[in-house]
Amino acid sequence: MLVSNKILAVVTFLYLFLFFAHLVYFATKQERVLTFVWVALYVTFGLHTAGLVVRWVESYRLSIGHAPLSNFYESLIFYGWCISLIVIVMKKRLRFPLLTMFACLIALGFMGYASFSSSVDKKIQPLIPALQSNWLHIHVFTCFIAYASFAVSFLAGLFSIFNWKSVMPPEERLEELNYRSVMVGFPMLSAGILTGAVWAHYAWGSYWSWDPKETWSLITWIFYALFLHARFARGWKGRRIALLSIIGFASVIFTYFGVNFILSGLHSYGAA
Amino acid sequence: MSATKSNVGREGEPPPSPSFLDHAYEFLSSVTLAIALLAFIAVASIFGTLVKQQASPEEYLSFYSESTYTIIRFLGLDDVFHSKWFIGAISLLVLNLIFCSLPRFIRLLKSRATVKIPNEKALDAMGLRCLLPGKKIDDIAGVFKRYRNAQNNEGSRVLERGSLGRYAVYMVHLSIIIILVGGLIGVLFGYRGPLTLAKGETKDSVVARGSTSERKPLGFAIKLDDFKVSFYPSGEPKDYVSNVEVLENGKSVLQKSIRVNDPLNYNGVNIYQSSYGSNPVFVFDVGGERVELGQGGVYQKDKLHLLAVRYEKSVHNFGPGVQIAYVEQDGQPQTTWFLKDVARLREKSILGTTVRLDDIKEDYYTGLEVSRDPGVWVVWFGFALILFGLYVNFFLYHRRIYLVEVSKGVLVAGTALKNKEGFKEEFEKLKGKLGCS
Ligand code: HEM
Repeated sequence: MLVSNKILAVVTFLYLFLFFAHLVYFATKQERVLTFVWVALYVTFGLHTAGLVVRWVESYRLSIGHAPLSNFYESLIFYGWCISLIVIVMKKRLRFPLLTMFACLIALGFMGYASFSSSVDKKIQPLIPALQSNWLHIHVFTCFIAYASFAVSFLAGLFSIFNWKSVMPPEERLEELNYRSVMVGFPMLSAGILTGAVWAHYAWGSYWSWDPKETWSLITWIFYALFLHARFARGWKGRRIALLSIIGFASVIFTYFGVNFILSGLHSYGAA
Repeated sequence: MSATKSNVGREGEPPPSPSFLDHAYEFLSSVTLAIALLAFIAVASIFGTLVKQQASPEEYLSFYSESTYTIIRFLGLDDVFHSKWFIGAISLLVLNLIFCSLPRFIRLLKSRATVKIPNEKALDAMGLRCLLPGKKIDDIAGVFKRYRNAQNNEGSRVLERGSLGRYAVYMVHLSIIIILVGGLIGVLFGYRGPLTLAKGETKDSVVARGSTSERKPLGFAIKLDDFKVSFYPSGEPKDYVSNVEVLENGKSVLQKSIRVNDPLNYNGVNIYQSSYGSNPVFVFDVGGERVELGQGGVYQKDKLHLLAVRYEKSVHNFGPGVQIAYVEQDGQPQTTWFLKDVARLREKSILGTTVRLDDIKEDYYTGLEVSRDPGVWVVWFGFALILFGLYVNFFLYHRRIYLVEVSKGVLVAGTALKNKEGFKEEFEKLKGKLGCS
């Protein structure tokens, strides 16, 4: 077993631990616990980053040599990493423990699926020629940052629908958070789709071929464009916007998983 | 959002009732239509991924019942992205964009020329405001170094920041149109098609993919000098390279190794590495002479005629073999199999000559993809503009600060339409610097 796989399995448990640490906070309501949670989150993120770096180094040892962004296992791990990154970068606006708790839960879900499902191949695989391109890095990076931001938008939407009193951030803060995450996610998804198109142009000679993955990312993109217009040009608020952000995330998840498992196409290796 | 139009008639006269054109304009410029169209295009695209596109009738019928297939055909769901209604929806979106954005843009340009200073009452009503008693505008101007002077009047001043932010939406909307125009140019004036080349072969045209399979001249010739495939230990291809030469009037003008992700670009024509394949080559020893035959290849010497008719990777599980046709002494055509891995069937005597199959080699040929797309730079420009526009739209925002001298001193007030949170923080900092509460 690769060292990186072990590190990342430990990281998975750390996310589980973080989840429980949040529960402790909700039970005790002690600020000290929250401070500790953030320290633990930084440590987890550091180790997660280390896991990715070690995997990168290991791929060179195997004389394959590529960034850990190329198969399904690696993309799940990277998705988890992007969620942590977003939480840390948006710390100022994400101070709500309920939100960080659920973000950790989502990261845990991806990490756990990657580390412990037997259907996910954890080996470092060589890159087929089409994937040997620098566009791969920027394409995958932008797409997954977008997916992670939309996960935050989804949580904001979810909370404002369920409206759990005592633990809930105030409604306006949720709306602001929802908008801010789409504000990061939409340009990032645009960049992801566009870099994908440029890459496809250089690899296959066509920047757009309506392959299912491309089409679904476009559907997701159109959906978030619709979200922005409903929000800003039509002034939708509250429940309706919350619902849109939930449907939008469903589209993200389908773009990521559904297309690989249900529909097939150029991206069937699950790179992005 | 309604397009506010000045239907103000002369005093006493009722405003004229809106005509059909007014309604059409209202409809075409509404955001409601934009939302409906975006939703429609998204749903249509979902169908385009759930139903297999551009497949043959047999494929559909193996999947759907006859009546379902009739409906699919009727609705054009077997080729959503080229159907008339899909293209119609996109055209309507473009119209919607133009009708919605252009008047707003013009209004924005006009409003820029005439910034009005709100009266004292309106200033008093602004949430972000403070009064500096006993000061003049010039005393405090230094604090606003990072703001642009939008207007400088006697006793009042308008300062702005992030004004580009107001134009970003129009950049984004314009770039959507640019990208679609680029795509249209490609569809109208471009072509794509596969081109296979065996080692040493030269071609100067390609059969374009699509309904009209016409032969497109490349304007030059391309010759394959060499082709190499390398594999990972796992057997997956690692790299494939076509070494080609571009020939103009028979003269070599360019040499290039085409790889996946590294196409050849010559005179606006792009040539990509897309696939490869192999043909068997049969190596015979015919009466001591080494002979290489491809599939369908012929050997002739004196009375002896040999023709490689058929190749099988596995003949009755005895390994690869080739069927050779020849003509008997009496003029009767005959066939016989040579099997590479079976000693008894490797060597035969035909018309008194010993014929032996020494080897079956794989001769690789390259599968290239040729495409000409004069719209691609337009599309790239649209991509760059939309990314820039989105960045500016979401991360810069326009805000205004008014400085007005009133009897008690200078009144400082600020407004921002977007990012009110952020502007509030900024204004609090300014208040700190100004020392006003
Ligand atoms: C796929 C197509 C479209 C994209 C990607 C797009 C993108 C955008 C973006 C990014 C914004 C800024 C939102 C914000 O500031 O949060 C915006 C605003 C807007 N868009 Fe679009 N748009 C599209 C189509 C349309 C269409 C067809 C209309 C026609 C009615 C339209 C009308 C507007 C309006 C009225 C605004 C608000 C401007 C404002 O707040 O001042 N958009 N659009």
